[in-house]
Amino acid sequence: MRAITHAAVAAAFLAAAAVPGQADAAAGDEVFAAKGCTDCHYTEGPAREKTIDDQLAKKGPELFYAGSKFQKDWLAAWLAEPVPIRPMKFGSLTEENPGGHPKLEGGDVAAVTDFLMGLTSADVEAGVVKPKKNPKGRQIFTKKMPCSGCHQYTARKAIAGGRSGPSLVEAGLRLNPDWILAYLRKPDVFKPVKSMPVFVGILSDKDMANVAAYIASFKPKK
Amino acid sequence: MMKTLGILATAATLAFLAGGSTAPAAEIEKVFQFYCAQCHGLGGKGDGPNVTKDFPVSPRNFTNAAEMNKLTDADLKNVILDGGPAVSKSPMMPPWGKTLTAEQVDGLVKHVRVLCNCKGKEG
Repeated sequence: MRAITHAAVAAAFLAAAAVPGQADAAAGDEVFAAKGCTDCHYTEGPAREKTIDDQLAKKGPELFYAGSKFQKDWLAAWLAEPVPIRPMKFGSLTEENPGGHPKLEGGDVAAVTDFLMGLTSADVEAGVVKPKKNPKGRQIFTKKMPCSGCHQYTARKAIAGGRSGPSLVEAGLRLNPDWILAYLRKPDVFKPVKSMPVFVGILSDKDMANVAAYIASFKPKK
Repeated sequence: MMKTLGILATAATLAFLAGGSTAPAAEIEKVFQFYCAQCHGLGGKGDGPNVTKDFPVSPRNFTNAAEMNKLTDADLKNVILDGGPAVSKSPMMPPWGKTLTAEQVDGLVKHVRVLCNCKGKEG
């Protein structure tokens, strides 16, 4: 019996060593809990919020689809050196975001990155949106259904746009283009109660894809 | 028992007639503060956090009775449902018709009338 157990442990160890990402994801799950991340973020779907009160009771965004939403390199860099994404404090329209999100160090960064990148959503169709500056997306973003009313972005080398939503400055480094489209198409799946309008039935699927491609093109100029 | 049920039914009918299908005022204020205050401000003065120096228009100040009296309740409802262009105003006011329930929209029209302390144009 003992021999079997040892063999099983050795096999598991070898399997984990062969697929470091998986080993890191499991370790990352433990770090995530140990560091108290679960005090502000939940990582198991589906979305729990049903009312405005539910949404306002949250201290931070839900992360059960983090692996579909974020780009891995950006996430790892952010966990090591977090800077505010939202101009306003989460859930507030009156308090500025004070910053100060806890940092991760050393191996915890890669482990938690792997854990979060493993949290994917079947509602995000992969390989649909390619980042592209396009006039239709730009027109919707800035004028027709102005995302810019609530989201910051870079216009003529300066930051412009509203401050109630998360900033989209350099969003092309942070967000998965396919997730942006899925978020517009299926608002109930990702964040059923949010202060952003539902555009399903208002913007066509093609319009949404153009906007997603446009937002995904927000990257620093080389 | 039947008498009690009858009284309850009458009370429910009266409550329905008095309040229509509008949600309670406290609930509507929460809706206003969650969605509308981003641009219109918590007090409805048009001074929400989105109104920065490069915001291309001035969101409606709901406490300005003179301006608010130029609009009918139907105008308010249309602009909430279909956005600014529905009343020849800016698209910076987005359409909320796919986000809010009909009950919430009706409640918001009433809430705006409380903020302006005005009845609006007949229409």
